Amino acid sequence: MSDLLLMLAEDALFSAIPALGFALLFNVPGRCLVFCALGGALAHSLRSLIMYWGVDIEWSTLAASTLLGLIAVYWSRRYLIPRPVITIAAIIPMIPGSYAFTTMLGILELHGGGYSPELLSKVIENGLTTLFILFALSFGLAIPSVLIYRGRPIV
Amino acid sequence: MSSQSITQIQQTEITRIVALAAQLLQQHGAESKLIEQTSTRLGKAMGLDSSEMAISADAIVLTSLYQGRCITTTRRVLDHGINMHMVCEVQRIMLLAEGKMLDLEGIGIRLRNLTPIRYNRWLVALMVALSCASFSRLFGADWNVFAVTFAASFAAMLVRQQLAQMHHNPLINFGITAFVATMLASLGVRFGIGEQPQIAMAASVLLLIPGFPLINAVSDMVKGHINMGISRWFGASLLTLSAAAGIALAMNLSGIRGWL
Repeated sequence: MSDLLLMLAEDALFSAIPALGFALLFNVPGRCLVFCALGGALAHSLRSLIMYWGVDIEWSTLAASTLLGLIAVYWSRRYLIPRPVITIAAIIPMIPGSYAFTTMLGILELHGGGYSPELLSKVIENGLTTLFILFALSFGLAIPSVLIYRGRPIV
Repeated sequence: MSSQSITQIQQTEITRIVALAAQLLQQHGAESKLIEQTSTRLGKAMGLDSSEMAISADAIVLTSLYQGRCITTTRRVLDHGINMHMVCEVQRIMLLAEGKMLDLEGIGIRLRNLTPIRYNRWLVALMVALSCASFSRLFGADWNVFAVTFAASFAAMLVRQQLAQMHHNPLINFGITAFVATMLASLGVRFGIGEQPQIAMAASVLLLIPGFPLINAVSDMVKGHINMGISRWFGASLLTLSAAAGIALAMNLSGIRGWL
């Protein structure tokens, strides 16, 4: 149990840093930076916890980004800022970057080094994982405006 | 403002302001729903009956309607880099206009005087490098590999900022940056620094993933802006592809393969 908590704490710390770092890259205003870091830590460690229970990465991502989208509704109404200002920096740690690059490098290798079934299956697996994680992230974030606010503005 | 009627000259000015708001939002990376919602609400707050807009990847067409009178205008949209500070400011002006705390003149002056604030480039490079190093920890790297990742992505980020400042094409920028990051990170593999030095090669290029356009692309498609979603998706894929080309070139030159 304490091992799990330690793992989650480390997970939260090392996902808060990227959320903050990319928030700076996106020029998020200073007063929102803390929400980006908090949101990033919370969402990524929740995803790790759900994956620890044996759920697929795609569904775990959907759950984590849904929670983040709902929390961001509260922050965005309270501080009168558009939701993407917080949410996109906060989901950066969950973006399937390595999967995306593996897919692209695999495609380049298919052309350069020639076809092999193992390589092709690697490309397809990584490509589909990239696609589904991205869809899970966006769907999760869109849930408050699609299901609850339906057409009405949040702020 | 909405109680008295609007003259044609006033409507022209309002249309210009709404178009400017939409243009600013799109140039600084807002999703289509936010662009459309914020600028049409701004138009309504200034007394228009409605404003209808067509958003495409590189231009905005906007028509304002007032008692059957239409004014249409087009604005080119050039990418100015993601800047959430600008998006927040435009939305705040819209909220002030809705609350009748600004008049037409005030809105125009405020909107035209907005200048994007950017964080210090060294601070950004430092934090982005720390971010990539954190990703390497999430992938299970030890502290030696953490240090290699930090160094490689810090240098890569400086290259990326310099090329962006010199207004180079983003595709070329991403290719060169990925090349530099992979070359530096492969030194860790060559000299056997740390337990799994390949992780540094994977983590140090993560600063090049166009996460913002990718998420905006899917959000746009979910909310019905299929055109914009497809263009954003394609743009982001091209950026990823050119970064991957930079990685492949560096791996072929150094002979060290960290991927596949």
